[in-house]
Amino acid sequence: MLITRNIKMADVIHLNYFTLTVLNRFGIELGFGDKSVEDVCKMYQVDADFFLEIVNTFVDKDYFPKKHLQTFPVKLITNYLQKTHDDYHQNKVPEIEFLIEQMVNSCYTQKDKIVLLKKFFNDYKQELLNHTKREEEVVFPYTLAIEKAYLSDKPDQSVLKLMETYSIDVFQNEHDNIEEKLFDLKNIIIKYLPQPKNSKLCNKLLFELFNLEQDLNDHSRIEEKVLVPKIRQMEKIITEGFAQTK
Amino acid sequence: MTNVTFIIIEKSYLIRKGLTSVIEKIPTTQIVQQFETAEELNASINSDVDFIICSPDQVVSLSKEFKQNAQLISLTAKSSKISAKINWAEHIYLEDTQKQIIKKLNDLIGNKTQKDSVSELPEEISKREADILKNIALGYSNKEIADKLFISTHTVVTHRKNITRKLGIKTVPGLTIYAILNKLIDINDSGQLT
Repeated sequence: MLITRNIKMADVIHLNYFTLTVLNRFGIELGFGDKSVEDVCKMYQVDADFFLEIVNTFVDKDYFPKKHLQTFPVKLITNYLQKTHDDYHQNKVPEIEFLIEQMVNSCYTQKDKIVLLKKFFNDYKQELLNHTKREEEVVFPYTLAIEKAYLSDKPDQSVLKLMETYSIDVFQNEHDNIEEKLFDLKNIIIKYLPQPKNSKLCNKLLFELFNLEQDLNDHSRIEEKVLVPKIRQMEKIITEGFAQTK
Repeated sequence: MTNVTFIIIEKSYLIRKGLTSVIEKIPTTQIVQQFETAEELNASINSDVDFIICSPDQVVSLSKEFKQNAQLISLTAKSSKISAKINWAEHIYLEDTQKQIIKKLNDLIGNKTQKDSVSELPEEISKREADILKNIALGYSNKEIADKLFISTHTVVTHRKNITRKLGIKTVPGLTIYAILNKLIDINDSGQLT
Protein backbone atom coordinates (compact mmCIF):
# COMPACT_ATOMS: atom_id res chain seq x y z
CA MET A 1 0.00 0.00 0.00
CA LEU A 2 1.25 3.42 -0.92
CA ILE A 3 1.48 5.77 2.03
CA THR A 4 0.26 9.28 1.23
CA ARG A 5 0.21 12.59 3.09
CA ASN A 6 -3.46 12.30 4.04
CA ILE A 7 -3.21 8.94 5.79
CA LYS A 8 -3.26 9.00 9.57
CA MET A 9 0.22 8.65 11.01
CA ALA A 10 -1.13 6.04 13.43
CA ASP A 11 -2.23 3.91 10.46
CA VAL A 12 1.27 4.01 9.01
CA ILE A 13 2.48 2.17 12.10
CA HIS A 14 -0.46 -0.24 12.03
CA LEU A 15 0.41 -1.01 8.42
CA ASN A 16 4.00 -1.89 9.22
CA TYR A 17 5.34 -1.49 12.70
CA PHE A 18 8.92 -1.43 11.48
CA THR A 19 8.20 2.14 10.37
CA LEU A 20 8.60 3.04 14.05
CA THR A 21 12.36 3.12 13.41
CA VAL A 22 11.85 5.59 10.57
CA LEU A 23 9.69 7.84 12.74
CA ASN A 24 12.35 7.69 15.37
CA ARG A 25 15.03 8.83 12.99
CA PHE A 26 12.96 11.80 11.95
CA GLY A 27 12.56 12.70 15.59
CA ILE A 28 8.80 12.13 15.50
CA GLU A 29 7.40 11.01 18.84
CA LEU A 30 4.28 8.98 19.50
CA GLY A 31 1.05 10.44 20.85
CA PHE A 32 -0.04 12.21 17.66
CA GLY A 33 -3.68 11.17 17.98
CA ASP A 34 -5.52 11.07 14.66
CA LYS A 35 -3.33 13.58 12.88
CA SER A 36 -2.40 12.92 9.26
CA VAL A 37 1.13 12.26 8.05
CA GLU A 38 1.26 15.79 6.67
CA ASP A 39 0.18 17.42 9.94
CA VAL A 40 2.54 15.37 12.08
CA CYS A 41 5.43 16.19 9.75
CA LYS A 42 4.54 19.87 9.99
CA MET A 43 4.53 19.63 13.79
CA TYR A 44 8.06 18.26 13.80
CA GLN A 45 9.26 20.42 10.92
CA VAL A 46 9.93 17.41 8.76
CA ASP A 47 9.71 17.66 4.96
CA ALA A 48 6.56 15.60 4.34
CA ASP A 49 7.47 14.64 0.77
CA PHE A 50 10.84 13.39 1.88
CA PHE A 51 9.33 11.49 4.79
CA LEU A 52 6.89 9.82 2.40
CA GLU A 53 9.64 8.75 0.02
CA ILE A 54 11.67 7.24 2.83
CA VAL A 55 8.78 5.48 4.52
CA ASN A 56 7.46 4.10 1.23
CA THR A 57 10.88 2.79 0.22
CA PHE A 58 11.01 1.18 3.65
CA VAL A 59 7.61 -0.49 3.41
CA ASP A 60 7.67 -1.60 -0.23
CA LYS A 61 10.97 -2.77 -1.61
CA ASP A 62 9.72 -2.32 -5.16
CA TYR A 63 8.77 1.30 -4.64
CA PHE A 64 10.38 3.71 -7.08
CA PRO A 65 11.26 6.91 -5.32
CA LYS A 66 12.16 8.67 -8.55
CA LYS A 67 9.23 11.05 -8.80
CA HIS A 68 10.69 13.59 -6.42
CA LEU A 69 14.20 12.40 -6.87
CA GLN A 70 15.64 15.66 -8.10
CA THR A 71 13.82 17.92 -5.70
CA PHE A 72 15.35 16.95 -2.37
CA PRO A 73 18.53 18.61 -1.19
CA VAL A 74 21.32 16.08 -0.78
CA LYS A 75 21.73 17.25 2.78
CA LEU A 76 18.29 15.88 3.63
CA ILE A 77 19.24 12.45 2.36
CA THR A 78 22.67 12.31 3.98
CA ASN A 79 21.17 13.55 7.24
CA TYR A 80 18.73 10.69 7.25
CA LEU A 81 21.45 8.17 6.37
CA GLN A 82 23.60 9.63 9.13
CA LYS A 83 20.77 9.08 11.57
CA THR A 84 20.43 5.45 10.55
CA HIS A 85 24.17 5.05 11.16
CA ASP A 86 23.77 6.53 14.63
CA ASP A 87 20.84 4.22 15.28
CA TYR A 88 22.95 1.18 14.38
CA HIS A 89 25.80 2.15 16.64
CA GLN A 90 23.76 3.48 19.54
CA ASN A 91 20.84 1.05 19.60
CA LYS A 92 20.79 -1.92 17.29
CA VAL A 93 24.37 -3.16 17.72
CA PRO A 94 24.50 -2.69 21.52
CA GLU A 95 21.19 -4.58 21.80
CA ILE A 96 22.65 -7.54 19.90
CA GLU A 97 25.83 -7.41 21.97
CA PHE A 98 23.75 -7.43 25.12
CA LEU A 99 21.86 -10.53 24.00
CA ILE A 100 25.04 -12.38 23.05
CA GLU A 101 26.55 -11.45 26.39
CA GLN A 102 23.48 -12.83 28.15
CA MET A 103 23.81 -16.04 26.16
CA VAL A 104 27.44 -16.37 27.23
CA ASN A 105 26.49 -15.83 30.85
CA SER A 106 23.54 -18.19 30.92
CA CYS A 107 25.42 -21.04 29.32
CA TYR A 108 27.79 -23.30 31.21
CA THR A 109 28.53 -26.28 29.03
CA GLN A 110 28.94 -24.62 25.63
CA LYS A 111 30.44 -21.38 26.80
CA ASP A 112 33.49 -21.54 24.52
CA LYS A 113 31.23 -21.85 21.49
CA ILE A 114 29.06 -18.88 22.34
CA VAL A 115 32.24 -16.92 22.95
CA LEU A 116 33.10 -17.63 19.31
CA LEU A 117 29.85 -15.95 18.30
CA LYS A 118 30.73 -13.00 20.42
CA LYS A 119 34.10 -12.64 18.75
CA PHE A 120 32.52 -12.99 15.33
CA PHE A 121 30.01 -10.26 16.03
CA ASN A 122 32.72 -8.04 17.44
CA ASP A 123 34.59 -8.27 14.14
CA TYR A 124 31.39 -7.54 12.31
CA LYS A 125 30.78 -4.51 14.45
CA GLN A 126 34.21 -3.18 13.49
CA GLU A 127 33.45 -3.79 9.83
CA LEU A 128 30.15 -1.96 10.09
CA LEU A 129 31.86 0.90 11.85
CA ASN A 130 34.48 1.20 9.11
CA HIS A 131 31.75 1.08 6.51
CA THR A 132 29.67 3.86 8.01
CA LYS A 133 32.77 5.91 8.81
CA ARG A 134 33.88 5.78 5.21
CA GLU A 135 30.47 7.00 4.10
CA GLU A 136 30.49 9.81 6.60
CA GLU A 137 34.04 10.93 5.92
CA VAL A 138 34.28 10.45 2.17
CA VAL A 139 30.99 9.80 0.46
CA PHE A 140 28.67 12.28 2.16
CA PRO A 141 31.07 15.25 1.88
CA TYR A 142 31.64 14.37 -1.76
CA THR A 143 27.92 14.34 -2.57
CA LEU A 144 27.45 17.68 -0.83
CA ALA A 145 30.34 19.20 -2.78
CA ILE A 146 28.87 17.94 -6.04
CA GLU A 147 25.50 19.42 -5.18
CA LYS A 148 27.06 22.76 -4.35
CA ALA A 149 28.84 22.86 -7.70
CA TYR A 150 25.67 21.78 -9.44
CA LEU A 151 23.62 24.58 -7.92
CA SER A 152 26.10 27.38 -8.44
CA ASP A 153 26.04 29.33 -11.73
CA LYS A 154 29.78 29.30 -12.03
CA PRO A 155 31.15 26.19 -10.40
CA ASP A 156 34.73 26.28 -9.26
CA GLN A 157 37.27 24.34 -11.31
CA SER A 158 38.27 22.46 -8.16
CA VAL A 159 35.17 20.31 -8.43
CA LEU A 160 36.59 18.80 -11.61
CA LYS A 161 39.70 17.78 -9.71
CA LEU A 162 37.52 16.31 -7.01
CA MET A 163 35.60 14.35 -9.59
CA GLU A 164 38.87 13.02 -10.99
CA THR A 165 39.84 11.56 -7.64
CA TYR A 166 36.42 10.22 -6.73
CA SER A 167 33.08 9.63 -8.34
CA ILE A 168 29.79 8.15 -7.31
CA ASP A 169 30.59 5.13 -9.51
CA VAL A 170 33.63 4.46 -7.34
CA PHE A 171 31.33 4.50 -4.34
CA GLN A 172 29.06 2.01 -6.01
CA ASN A 173 31.95 -0.32 -6.74
CA GLU A 174 33.50 -0.12 -3.31
CA HIS A 175 30.13 -0.30 -1.60
CA ASP A 176 30.86 -3.72 -0.17
CA ASN A 177 28.27 -6.13 0.89
CA ILE A 178 27.98 -5.39 4.57
CA GLU A 179 25.18 -7.92 5.01
CA GLU A 180 27.30 -10.95 4.15
CA LYS A 181 28.68 -11.61 7.63
CA LEU A 182 25.28 -11.02 9.14
CA PHE A 183 23.89 -13.67 6.84
CA ASP A 184 26.59 -16.10 8.01
CA LEU A 185 25.89 -15.35 11.62
CA LYS A 186 22.19 -16.08 11.20
CA ASN A 187 22.92 -19.35 9.44
CA ILE A 188 25.40 -20.45 12.09
CA ILE A 189 22.82 -19.86 14.80
CA ILE A 190 19.94 -21.42 12.89
CA LYS A 191 21.77 -24.42 11.49
CA TYR A 192 24.89 -25.23 13.44
CA LEU A 193 25.11 -23.79 16.92
CA PRO A 194 24.40 -26.30 19.68
CA GLN A 195 21.25 -24.87 21.19
CA PRO A 196 21.70 -23.31 24.59
CA LYS A 197 19.11 -24.08 27.24
CA ASN A 198 17.62 -20.64 26.98
CA SER A 199 16.19 -20.82 23.48
CA LYS A 200 14.17 -17.67 24.07
CA LEU A 201 17.38 -15.68 24.16
CA CYS A 202 18.46 -17.30 20.93
CA ASN A 203 15.17 -16.38 19.25
CA LYS A 204 15.43 -12.83 20.46
CA LEU A 205 18.94 -12.59 19.08
CA LEU A 206 17.86 -13.96 15.71
CA PHE A 207 14.98 -11.52 15.62
CA GLU A 208 17.35 -8.62 16.20
CA LEU A 209 19.73 -9.90 13.54
CA PHE A 210 16.95 -10.18 10.97
CA ASN A 211 15.81 -6.73 11.95
CA LEU A 212 19.27 -5.23 11.51
CA GLU A 213 19.68 -6.98 8.18
CA GLN A 214 16.37 -5.62 6.90
CA ASP A 215 17.32 -2.15 7.98
CA LEU A 216 20.72 -2.38 6.31
CA ASN A 217 19.04 -3.49 3.12
CA ASP A 218 16.70 -0.53 3.28
CA HIS A 219 19.64 1.73 3.96
CA SER A 220 21.51 0.55 0.86
CA ARG A 221 18.32 0.79 -1.17
CA ILE A 222 18.05 4.47 -0.35
CA GLU A 223 21.68 4.97 -1.29
CA GLU A 224 21.38 3.07 -4.52
CA LYS A 225 17.97 4.24 -5.65
CA VAL A 226 17.96 7.83 -4.43
CA LEU A 227 21.43 9.11 -3.71
CA VAL A 228 23.50 7.47 -6.43
CA PRO A 229 21.25 8.30 -9.43
CA LYS A 230 20.84 11.85 -8.18
CA ILE A 231 24.57 12.46 -7.84
CA ARG A 232 25.36 10.70 -11.09
CA GLN A 233 23.07 13.04 -12.97
CA MET A 234 24.63 16.06 -11.28
CA GLU A 235 28.11 14.83 -12.17
CA LYS A 236 27.04 14.51 -15.78
CA ILE A 237 25.57 18.00 -15.94
CA ILE A 238 28.62 19.54 -14.27
CA THR A 239 30.99 17.82 -16.70
CA GLU A 240 28.87 18.93 -19.65
CA GLY A 241 28.79 22.46 -18.30
CA PHE A 242 32.57 22.64 -18.19
CA ALA A 243 32.89 21.11 -21.62
CA GLN A 244 30.67 23.84 -23.08
CA THR A 245 32.56 26.74 -21.57
CA LYS A 246 35.84 25.50 -23.00
CA MET B 1 24.90 -20.06 -6.10
CA THR B 2 21.87 -21.92 -7.23
CA ASN B 3 19.66 -18.87 -7.24
CA VAL B 4 18.50 -17.70 -10.64
CA THR B 5 17.96 -13.99 -10.98
CA PHE B 6 15.48 -12.09 -13.09
CA ILE B 7 15.05 -8.49 -14.11
CA ILE B 8 11.68 -7.34 -15.34
CA ILE B 9 11.36 -4.30 -17.57
CA GLU B 10 7.74 -3.36 -18.02
CA LYS B 11 5.85 -0.08 -17.96
CA SER B 12 2.70 -1.45 -16.40
CA TYR B 13 2.83 -1.72 -12.64
CA LEU B 14 0.09 -4.35 -12.67
CA ILE B 15 1.93 -6.62 -15.08
CA ARG B 16 5.24 -6.16 -13.28
CA LYS B 17 3.75 -7.04 -9.93
CA GLY B 18 1.76 -9.93 -11.32
CA LEU B 19 4.70 -11.50 -13.09
CA THR B 20 6.87 -11.05 -10.01
CA SER B 21 4.42 -12.93 -7.85
CA VAL B 22 4.36 -15.80 -10.35
CA ILE B 23 8.17 -15.96 -10.57
CA GLU B 24 8.48 -15.94 -6.81
CA LYS B 25 6.59 -19.23 -6.72
CA ILE B 26 9.56 -20.96 -8.36
CA PRO B 27 11.76 -22.06 -5.44
CA THR B 28 15.25 -21.27 -6.74
CA THR B 29 14.47 -17.92 -8.26
CA GLN B 30 14.74 -14.43 -7.08
CA ILE B 31 13.84 -11.16 -8.75
CA VAL B 32 16.70 -8.78 -8.75
CA GLN B 33 14.83 -5.68 -9.71
CA GLN B 34 11.96 -4.26 -11.63
CA PHE B 35 12.28 -1.36 -14.02
CA GLU B 36 9.85 0.65 -16.07
CA THR B 37 12.19 1.21 -19.01
CA ALA B 38 15.46 -0.20 -20.34
CA GLU B 39 17.17 3.17 -19.84
CA GLU B 40 16.52 2.88 -16.15
CA LEU B 41 18.13 -0.53 -16.06
CA ASN B 42 21.17 0.72 -17.98
CA ALA B 43 21.62 3.42 -15.40
CA SER B 44 21.56 0.94 -12.54
CA ILE B 45 24.32 -1.27 -11.20
CA ASN B 46 23.23 -4.85 -11.44
CA SER B 47 25.02 -6.65 -14.20
CA ASP B 48 24.81 -10.07 -12.61
CA VAL B 49 21.54 -11.30 -13.98
CA ASP B 50 20.48 -14.51 -15.64
CA PHE B 51 17.27 -13.51 -17.38
CA ILE B 52 15.76 -10.24 -18.52
CA ILE B 53 12.05 -10.26 -19.19
CA CYS B 54 10.92 -7.29 -21.26
CA SER B 55 8.65 -6.19 -24.02
CA PRO B 56 10.35 -6.26 -27.45
CA ASP B 57 10.21 -2.48 -27.94
CA GLN B 58 12.46 -2.05 -24.91
CA VAL B 59 15.24 -4.29 -26.20
CA VAL B 60 16.53 -1.64 -28.61
CA SER B 61 17.60 0.64 -25.80
CA LEU B 62 19.04 -2.12 -23.63
CA SER B 63 22.80 -1.80 -23.16
CA LYS B 64 25.10 -4.33 -24.84
CA GLU B 65 26.46 -5.58 -21.57
CA PHE B 66 23.06 -6.84 -20.53
CA LYS B 67 22.28 -8.27 -23.93
CA GLN B 68 25.44 -10.37 -23.80
CA ASN B 69 25.31 -11.49 -20.20
CA ALA B 70 21.67 -12.33 -19.82
CA GLN B 71 19.15 -14.39 -21.72
CA LEU B 72 16.21 -12.39 -23.03
CA ILE B 73 12.60 -13.35 -22.59
CA SER B 74 9.90 -11.45 -24.44
CA LEU B 75 6.74 -10.29 -22.76
CA THR B 76 3.87 -9.44 -25.13
CA ALA B 77 0.32 -10.13 -26.06
CA LYS B 78 -0.01 -13.16 -28.32
CA SER B 79 -1.22 -10.97 -31.17
CA SER B 80 1.73 -8.60 -31.28
CA LYS B 81 4.70 -9.06 -33.57
CA ILE B 82 8.08 -9.96 -32.17
CA SER B 83 11.23 -9.05 -34.04
CA ALA B 84 13.07 -12.18 -35.14
CA LYS B 85 16.39 -10.33 -35.14
CA ILE B 86 16.80 -10.85 -31.44
CA ASN B 87 17.78 -14.14 -29.98
CA TRP B 88 14.90 -14.74 -27.60
CA ALA B 89 15.35 -17.54 -25.11
CA GLU B 90 11.61 -17.77 -24.52
CA HIS B 91 8.33 -15.91 -25.05
CA ILE B 92 5.87 -15.16 -22.31
CA TYR B 93 2.41 -14.05 -23.40
CA LEU B 94 0.03 -11.97 -21.37
CA GLU B 95 -2.57 -14.65 -22.09
CA ASP B 96 -0.45 -17.41 -20.50
CA THR B 97 -1.77 -19.14 -17.41
CA GLN B 98 0.35 -19.25 -14.28
CA LYS B 99 1.11 -22.90 -14.96
CA GLN B 100 2.33 -22.18 -18.47
CA ILE B 101 4.61 -19.37 -17.32
CA ILE B 102 6.10 -21.47 -14.54
CA LYS B 103 6.68 -24.35 -16.96
CA LYS B 104 8.41 -22.11 -19.50
CA LEU B 105 10.68 -20.60 -16.88
CA ASN B 106 11.38 -23.91 -15.20
CA ASP B 107 12.49 -25.38 -18.52
CA LEU B 108 14.84 -22.44 -19.02
CA ILE B 109 16.27 -22.67 -15.52
CA GLY B 110 16.70 -26.41 -15.92
CA ASN B 111 18.79 -25.76 -19.01
CA LYS B 112 20.90 -23.27 -17.22
CA THR B 113 21.66 -25.33 -14.15
CA GLN B 114 22.68 -28.24 -16.35
CA LYS B 115 25.09 -25.97 -18.19
CA ASP B 116 26.64 -24.89 -14.94
CA SER B 117 26.83 -28.59 -14.02
CA VAL B 118 25.23 -27.90 -10.67
CA SER B 119 23.27 -30.99 -9.86
CA GLU B 120 21.47 -31.89 -6.69
CA LEU B 121 24.25 -32.77 -4.30
CA PRO B 122 23.80 -34.05 -0.80
CA GLU B 123 24.13 -31.23 1.68
CA GLU B 124 26.87 -32.94 3.66
CA ILE B 125 30.34 -31.79 2.76
CA SER B 126 32.72 -34.42 1.38
CA LYS B 127 35.91 -35.58 3.01
CA ARG B 128 37.98 -33.57 0.55
CA GLU B 129 35.89 -30.46 1.17
CA ALA B 130 36.35 -30.92 4.88
CA ASP B 131 40.14 -30.93 4.33
CA ILE B 132 39.90 -27.70 2.37
CA LEU B 133 37.59 -26.16 4.94
CA LYS B 134 40.02 -27.07 7.70
CA ASN B 135 42.82 -25.24 5.91
CA ILE B 136 40.64 -22.19 5.21
CA ALA B 137 39.81 -22.05 8.89
CA LEU B 138 43.48 -22.27 9.78
CA GLY B 139 43.98 -19.12 7.77
CA TYR B 140 45.72 -20.45 4.66
CA SER B 141 45.25 -18.74 1.30
CA ASN B 142 43.95 -20.52 -1.80
CA LYS B 143 47.47 -20.71 -3.18
CA GLU B 144 48.89 -22.19 0.03
CA ILE B 145 46.11 -24.76 0.23
CA ALA B 146 46.69 -25.73 -3.39
CA ASP B 147 50.41 -26.28 -2.74
CA LYS B 148 49.76 -28.22 0.43
CA LEU B 149 47.24 -30.60 -1.10
CA PHE B 150 48.94 -30.88 -4.53
CA ILE B 151 45.96 -29.52 -6.45
CA SER B 152 45.47 -26.42 -8.60
CA THR B 153 44.26 -23.10 -7.18
CA HIS B 154 41.32 -23.39 -9.52
CA THR B 155 40.28 -26.64 -7.84
CA VAL B 156 40.53 -25.01 -4.42
CA VAL B 157 38.24 -22.21 -5.61
CA THR B 158 35.72 -24.73 -6.91
CA HIS B 159 35.77 -26.58 -3.60
CA ARG B 160 35.27 -23.32 -1.74
CA LYS B 161 32.27 -22.45 -3.86
CA ASN B 162 30.73 -25.83 -3.15
CA ILE B 163 31.40 -25.55 0.57
CA THR B 164 29.77 -22.13 0.69
CA ARG B 165 26.76 -23.36 -1.24
CA LYS B 166 26.27 -26.40 0.94
CA LEU B 167 26.73 -24.72 4.30
CA GLY B 168 25.17 -21.37 3.51
CA ILE B 169 28.21 -19.61 4.95
CA LYS B 170 30.13 -17.16 2.83
CA THR B 171 32.86 -15.50 4.87
CA VAL B 172 36.11 -16.93 6.20
CA PRO B 173 35.34 -16.09 9.86
CA GLY B 174 31.94 -17.79 9.42
CA LEU B 175 33.57 -20.89 7.96
CA THR B 176 36.06 -20.90 10.81
CA ILE B 177 33.29 -21.01 13.37
CA TYR B 178 31.68 -23.87 11.51
CA ALA B 179 35.00 -25.73 11.49
CA ILE B 180 35.40 -25.29 15.24
CA LEU B 181 31.80 -26.24 16.04
CA ASN B 182 32.25 -29.40 14.02
CA LYS B 183 35.65 -30.16 15.54
CA LEU B 184 37.51 -29.91 12.24
CA ILE B 185 39.98 -27.68 14.01
CA ASP B 186 40.67 -26.81 17.59
CA ILE B 187 39.76 -23.38 18.93
CA ASN B 188 43.39 -22.70 19.74
CA ASP B 189 44.58 -23.46 16.20
CA SER B 190 42.41 -20.85 14.58
CA GLY B 191 44.36 -17.90 13.26
CA GLN B 192 41.19 -15.97 12.59
CA LEU B 193 39.62 -15.90 15.97
CA THR B 194 42.34 -15.97 18.54
